[in-house]
Amino acid sequence: MKPHSRTTTRNILALGLVAGLALVTGCTKSESDNSAPAQTSSSGDAGKQVAGSGGGKTCAIGDYGADKLDLKNAVVGFSQSEKEANPFRIAETASIKAEASKRGIKLLTANAQSQFSKQISDVQDLIAKGAELLVIAPLNSDGWEPVLRSAQAKKIPIITIDRQINAAPCKDYVSFIGSDFVAQGRRAADQLIEATGGKGEIAILLGAAGNNVTTERTKGFEDRVKAKAPGLKIVFKQTGEFTREKGQSVTEQLIQSKPGIKAIYAENDEMGLGAVNALKGAGKKPGAVKIVTIDGTRNAVQGIADGWISAVIESNPRFGPLAFATLDSFTQGKPVGEDIVIQDSQYTGANAKADLNKAY
Amino acid sequence: MTPWRAAVTAPPDEVLAVTGLTKRFPGVLALDDVTFTLRAGQTHALVGENGAGKSTLIKVLTGVYRPDEGELRHLGEAVTFPTPLAAQHAGISTIYQEVNLIPLMSVARNLFLGREPRTRLGLIDFARMHREAKETMAEYGVHIDVRRPLRELGVGAQQMVALARAVSVDARVVVMDEPTSSLEPREVETLFGVIRRLREQGIAVLYVSHRMDELYAICDTVTVLRDGRLVHTGPLAETGRLQLVSLMLGRETSEVRAEGVTKFSGSHDAGSRPVLSARNLDRRHQLHDVSLDIRPGEVVGLGGLLGSGRTETAKAIAGALPLGGGEVTVDGRPVRTGSAAAAIRAGISLLPEDRKSEGIVPGLSVRENIALAALPRMSRFGLVSEARVDAVVDTFMKRLRIKAASPHQKVGELSGGNQQKVLLARWLAMHPKVLLLDEPTRGIDVGAKAEVQKLIDELAGNGLGVLLISSDVEELIEGSDRVVVLRDGSVVGELTGDEVGADQLLRAIAEAAEEETPRHD
Amino acid sequence: MTELALDNRTLPDRSTVVGWLQNYGVYLGLAVLLLFNVFFTDHFVSGENFRTQAVQVSPVLIVALGMALAIGTEGIDLSVGAVMALATSVTSLYLGYGPWLALVAALIGGAVIGLAGGSLIAFVGVQPIVATLALMVGGRGIALVLLPQLKDVRDPAMATLGSGSVAGIPYLALIAAALALIVGFVVRRTTFGRRLLAIGDSRPAAQLAGLPVHRVLITVYVCSGVLAAVAGFLATARLQASDPSSLGNLMELSAITAVVVGGTPLTGGRVRIGGTVAGAVLIQLLTATLIKHDLPSSWTQIAQAVVIVLAVYAARERGKR
Repeated sequence: MKPHSRTTTRNILALGLVAGLALVTGCTKSESDNSAPAQTSSSGDAGKQVAGSGGGKTCAIGDYGADKLDLKNAVVGFSQSEKEANPFRIAETASIKAEASKRGIKLLTANAQSQFSKQISDVQDLIAKGAELLVIAPLNSDGWEPVLRSAQAKKIPIITIDRQINAAPCKDYVSFIGSDFVAQGRRAADQLIEATGGKGEIAILLGAAGNNVTTERTKGFEDRVKAKAPGLKIVFKQTGEFTREKGQSVTEQLIQSKPGIKAIYAENDEMGLGAVNALKGAGKKPGAVKIVTIDGTRNAVQGIADGWISAVIESNPRFGPLAFATLDSFTQGKPVGEDIVIQDSQYTGANAKADLNKAY
Repeated sequence: MTPWRAAVTAPPDEVLAVTGLTKRFPGVLALDDVTFTLRAGQTHALVGENGAGKSTLIKVLTGVYRPDEGELRHLGEAVTFPTPLAAQHAGISTIYQEVNLIPLMSVARNLFLGREPRTRLGLIDFARMHREAKETMAEYGVHIDVRRPLRELGVGAQQMVALARAVSVDARVVVMDEPTSSLEPREVETLFGVIRRLREQGIAVLYVSHRMDELYAICDTVTVLRDGRLVHTGPLAETGRLQLVSLMLGRETSEVRAEGVTKFSGSHDAGSRPVLSARNLDRRHQLHDVSLDIRPGEVVGLGGLLGSGRTETAKAIAGALPLGGGEVTVDGRPVRTGSAAAAIRAGISLLPEDRKSEGIVPGLSVRENIALAALPRMSRFGLVSEARVDAVVDTFMKRLRIKAASPHQKVGELSGGNQQKVLLARWLAMHPKVLLLDEPTRGIDVGAKAEVQKLIDELAGNGLGVLLISSDVEELIEGSDRVVVLRDGSVVGELTGDEVGADQLLRAIAEAAEEETPRHD
Repeated sequence: MTELALDNRTLPDRSTVVGWLQNYGVYLGLAVLLLFNVFFTDHFVSGENFRTQAVQVSPVLIVALGMALAIGTEGIDLSVGAVMALATSVTSLYLGYGPWLALVAALIGGAVIGLAGGSLIAFVGVQPIVATLALMVGGRGIALVLLPQLKDVRDPAMATLGSGSVAGIPYLALIAAALALIVGFVVRRTTFGRRLLAIGDSRPAAQLAGLPVHRVLITVYVCSGVLAAVAGFLATARLQASDPSSLGNLMELSAITAVVVGGTPLTGGRVRIGGTVAGAVLIQLLTATLIKHDLPSSWTQIAQAVVIVLAVYAARERGKR
């Protein structure tokens, strides 16, 4: 029995693992970031959300069955749905946190990491930890029964942001604050019609399949094109799964097989930037193929300034100010809208440079 | 030998019987006209060496296989068991070597699986199940919390649960396949107690084991199979140990041939200092203090019944089995045990018993198989020199007369004899000092067998030390200069010089069986 | 004791046809698909188009090479997608030192994951699918900790690598082709390659033949990790960005598909590098064809499924022989 050599091998392996990990994670040095000054100025007023003027039903605290309280001394729970790995989520969470600290409110946060079951338990945890008000960015529209029941039991007002849940407003939850994705699609169509002059063959880079954002942004766009510019023909509709890589790959195929394509509607900025990569790679000049995207990230707005992208329709993630303002009004007893649609702005050649700071 | 025939009219106490049973597998006649009866209250030993057909017979009896010819009678009526479940319903339960229960379920659940007591609502009546399970297990000498998962029990206790389950399913026949292989002596006693009670209840037990002491301690009848044929059946008390051993190994005690039937030439001029020396090899349940020497140019036979530790000894020397203790030296230098690579470097080569799964690499070509172990010698900086491989392969294919369509034919497509030669070539390419041959001629045709035997002879003549394991008595006594006899993992005797003969070998195995008391740690 | 001398020549015709299809079916499929495109896809026959397909297939192909080695040992490596993500994170973090050092760091990252997986498999005896599944989840986690969000890459050398070409052949395709040649050579001509196949075909026999089974297994997974890291680095160059949250998603499945379609059996003992290359190109071309004809993406998935089923069916036929 001489287990020596094997033990030694294992020790060397373990050492290698540790050393390797250290190498990979230690003493890193990224490229110097010369793009823009301080990232995300979400605490400032730049790009603050503005509620749309839409009338709609309102909800008051009496209707909901909760009690008035002073928001300043309240504890607010925020449940985020996905990892803050994309600009939208980063800006959204940052905005909520910034507004809470600005108002001096105690904020509890949780992130469901894209697992719905985790989000349910997250919210229940927040309630257990003493949250008196809840702001939820739901991962799913359905399946909220258990949470709503426990919130109801404690009369906790809930505001959902960026995605609606399937439940009764002003009863199961107070109100929903979010963008109108169909309207975003319509406005993207308007921009694309303007950029192309309403004629020619165009392509759509769809978002992830089976996602309501994809469906709604597609519907708004197609309906508007049909109604306003029958000269525009949609000859290509492929999913880019909301990622830059797929957007690039699909666009590469597109410009090979349909060299006469005039414009591309990308349902988010990342796919649009992928399309820009593909066009660059194929040796196209900026503006040779018009691109319109939705979201309003800094990179995309910069793309307008560089001439590659014609327009970006904003989908504003900075829910903080509006969400807390709504909570404030509500807890003071003032009626608030049940369905608060944000007025998203847009970036075009006219305002891209000036408004670059507003982009997230 | 006259085949034993059952009476045509079934006696009243006959539970299960087969007549003229024949079962073929591609290329093999596994059972050949076997006739055999199991009576109520009988504890019937079923013995035979590897390949005798024991497991095939058990599988026919328990509905796993269907016979090609012959009749199966259950309680006097001809039946067929289409599935193992049908056999179970007919009251035939089996306990296999590997416990076939569900480790994560509780003991009680395992015991009552599929026939749980129900409440009036159709739910499992756990209280009753646990109570009955506790009582049942207590009868088997196992006092445990029946709500615990089965896997927390020792192997012996698990075996008891399996037995309790088998018996409690209204069994008339219980088949036990090597039930004591993993039991401690105390547990063996409990098992025997249970078997005695079964006998009183009129349940027939078919008991498969290689341990002579156990057979004589518990069984009343014995049936011996050899090469798929029934060679003896009758009361155990009338069959002596020596006779039993010779029946299993296929040698009559009175019949000692003057002339050899194998291709071995006779004795070799062995060197004086051992090339290989194994000392005090020890492995739980398998080897106890085994020591042996092999001198250059000497063929040492390893005798013993199946399960006596022959294969384990060879594997232990070759570094293929981790050992609890002991040491191996080659030319006086110690070899790290438990490492096949170290043993090979030291010059030890093993032709494993299970040629198909442990020897050849079936999907690779003859060429790759021959070159496999010696690759580093035929390459530079990790690059294989095809020319050198070709030269070696060519040499050995000619020297060993390997018959293949080309060196690029897959080894899996060759005949058994040629596969064995490929393995020999693989090791000879390593220029070994010691060759361990575990059943080198099993399952290969007569011509190839003679060739392989001749080769072994030649190799020893060239100064190699050879360890030969064979269930073929002729092969063992005629091929070996010396025979070391093993039983239950211990060396129990050694035949040298003129003692190396069939009679002496059988007597050594049988006497050893009589003298020795069971050894357990 | 079943003694069966199998001989191919005596088998009936059907098996011969299936056997041929199994070995060369992938090339036949590729030829059919190419012909279809030549006749029915606009602008298919152009250097630019072939370059596009070559660039797009390169990362998948490189990953598939490592996967083929793992599958050859009767294993599998599910961590490759996560390794790509890790490589892209590490690349981005080290690019300040220049692309070469970033590449080295990324390769070390891939090797570390491979070392971890290989050690679990060889020493601890964890099943490959379980060991690499753990690393698949953990690896992407590490990647996201290192780089929580997408980051642009502006290094000019990276841009050249990602979109440049020499003599009309993209760098990416050249690198992939070179790696395929190297891996093919390793499998055929080195002791490591032969040992790998022997271990995959019969591990007990390989062990008894004294082969360094642990060392070979670990080396295989380290190779797979390093190759996946190369793919991650190249994908970063092509994308001009590090996107650890989406890069390499489902890459393990694409790679396994390429390997299996290429005729490498999941049961180990055999590695077909040429087939793997053809398999990767076949899947790429299939996807491209459906995109170019603007069929819904669900069709692509269905078509891939059909190809996999055909490949697996052929493999099953081999099992029966």
